Amino acid sequence: MTHRRNFLFAAVFLAVLAGGAYAENKTVAIGYHAPLSGENAQYGVQFRNSAMLAVDQFNKSGKLPGVTIVLKFEDSKGDAKEGVNIARKFSDDQSIVAAIGDFNSTVSMAAGQVYAQTHLAQLSQTASHPDFVKISPYQFRNITTMDYESPLVAKWALANGAKKIAVVAIQNDWGQTAAANFVGAVKVNGGEITDTEFFNPGTRDFRSIITKIARGQPDAIFIAAFYEDGSAFLQQKTQMGIKQTIYGTSSLSEPKLLELAGPAANNMYATTTFLADSPEANVQAYVKSYDARYGSKPQMFAAQAFDATNIVLSAIAAAGGANATRAKVRDALAKTKNFPGVTGITTFDPETREPAKTLTKLQIQNGKYVLLK
Amino acid sequence: MFDIFFVQQLVNGLSVGFIYALMAIGFTLIFGVLNVVNFAHGEVYMIGAYAGWLSITIFAPPLFVVILVALAVGALAGFSLERIAFRPFRRFRDEASLKSKAIREATLLSSLAISIIVREAAEKIFGSNMQTIPQEYLLLTPIEIGPLTFASGQFLIFGMSIVMLGGLQWLLKRTQVGLSIRAVANNPMGATYVGINTERTIIATFIIGSTLGAAAGLVVGLYQGAIFPAMGFAPGIKAFVAMVMGGLSSIGGAVVCAILLGVAEAVTTSFFAQGWGDLVAYVFLVITLIFFPTGLFGGGRDRV
Repeated sequence: MTHRRNFLFAAVFLAVLAGGAYAENKTVAIGYHAPLSGENAQYGVQFRNSAMLAVDQFNKSGKLPGVTIVLKFEDSKGDAKEGVNIARKFSDDQSIVAAIGDFNSTVSMAAGQVYAQTHLAQLSQTASHPDFVKISPYQFRNITTMDYESPLVAKWALANGAKKIAVVAIQNDWGQTAAANFVGAVKVNGGEITDTEFFNPGTRDFRSIITKIARGQPDAIFIAAFYEDGSAFLQQKTQMGIKQTIYGTSSLSEPKLLELAGPAANNMYATTTFLADSPEANVQAYVKSYDARYGSKPQMFAAQAFDATNIVLSAIAAAGGANATRAKVRDALAKTKNFPGVTGITTFDPETREPAKTLTKLQIQNGKYVLLK
Repeated sequence: MFDIFFVQQLVNGLSVGFIYALMAIGFTLIFGVLNVVNFAHGEVYMIGAYAGWLSITIFAPPLFVVILVALAVGALAGFSLERIAFRPFRRFRDEASLKSKAIREATLLSSLAISIIVREAAEKIFGSNMQTIPQEYLLLTPIEIGPLTFASGQFLIFGMSIVMLGGLQWLLKRTQVGLSIRAVANNPMGATYVGINTERTIIATFIIGSTLGAAAGLVVGLYQGAIFPAMGFAPGIKAFVAMVMGGLSSIGGAVVCAILLGVAEAVTTSFFAQGWGDLVAYVFLVITLIFFPTGLFGGGRDRV
């Protein structure tokens, strides 16, 4: 009797195992964290939109037969502590082979400390603080740092004839590096900085700062801010009759800025890695599918997220798809070369993991972004 | 150092101070009567701004109609707030409950809960980013008087503060409603004993306070060009600080302290950096509490 029962159990057990081996569609997960609430929630929502679009397109394309990529999205609330918790959660989830996140450098770097210990590759689509990729070999980014962008804007402003420049920047890791790099580049190239003012995130009344920098009589003003602060600044500067030209970074190449600031935004200069009106085929395809699914055109940060997700997806495919381990995905990411993204061709330096990309120059004319040569 | 830019900074500081004062007036009124902080006042401020913005996008009426809409919505919001967050804690009529501090403090938490719910609901419905305001409604027309630049919004805010303050004083000193408000603020049990309808008075206080708050929210939203769900938080904190500095139940005192806070922020930005402005405000608060525990303008309070 016992023999028969044991034989029955063994048979059922083997059948279940065999059934499992024949199971279709192994899931491989990507963990994504971004702010879905709080100050920068509108960016997190765009990241999620782009990421879901990228993952759905990848799953439909059949590049990895038998594997379904799943996106696990978490709200980091723009808070470093929350970022750390989410990083631990992702690290504990064995189906996650790579993490993407966060929006700003502060949270990315906090989460990065955890990923460095748990050996999970992390790609940030927008963290541009120079120290981020120096944390460990597991940190990557596909946006240029302010080490590269601020000096570019500085040389541009000086080339346009401005000799005395005032700097207004947001008080966080990103704003501080943006300002510091800009100031350094201006001084090295023979210009003069009249004032460097930092404002707390969430400030909407810039009149005191505007009055203070007006006293220094600069030729131009450089602002390192996001589009909400930027639009309030532009409107209030126009109201106060300050006529100096504004130079901004890629954070201001955002169509919502044009809506919020109206005519006050005209003549502002900015840099960008993505323009929705670009005639390139992959950009147009992305813009059309994003618009069809979400009812609005994507802007630079959303495009960065789209490219980030696709870079991770191709790294997973290169690392063996269903057999991808975290170590293999990390190595595949480090080997990313000439990736044809919507934000330009991206290559990661295998040693420093810094991305090489090109930035384009824009000016706002008559309420539209115009590409400058 | 004391050049025309400094005078301009004073102007900036005064306009920021009057923004805080606008919020502090309604806030202090409610505190004076009920002796509880109304954490949802910032959200009433935000509701007023959104109501005005919605009427602009749907009907595009002239500005004073928009303000009237904000006033009406504010009154409604105040009434609902009182019903939902404050009334349920007053249903106990026995002696012990009427004197209980715990029940009073419970309304602190319930108003905080309402403020979180309303703010998150607004974020869900409208999104947490700033709303686009049509250019004609932005109170940012520059007005130059000599070398100084003013915005049309600054005059409107200044005018509104004076009207609100004056109107409130007239209401409190010259009308029946004001008399009952003052009576309930002084001694609610005593007011009940002499036949004043405390319930009605409290409702009236909330409606008046919230109406003022909502109008403030709309005007400031248009002046700063920024209407977003979290807009009531920062001025709310400053209004609270102004109220405590001014003596908890003195409306005039709160206004004066609010203006002081605004000017202090602007001057700090001028001589140091904008980031230190908040620090200065809170240092003022601490100093006031150490040397003037009942506030700068507050007297003793009798509460039986």
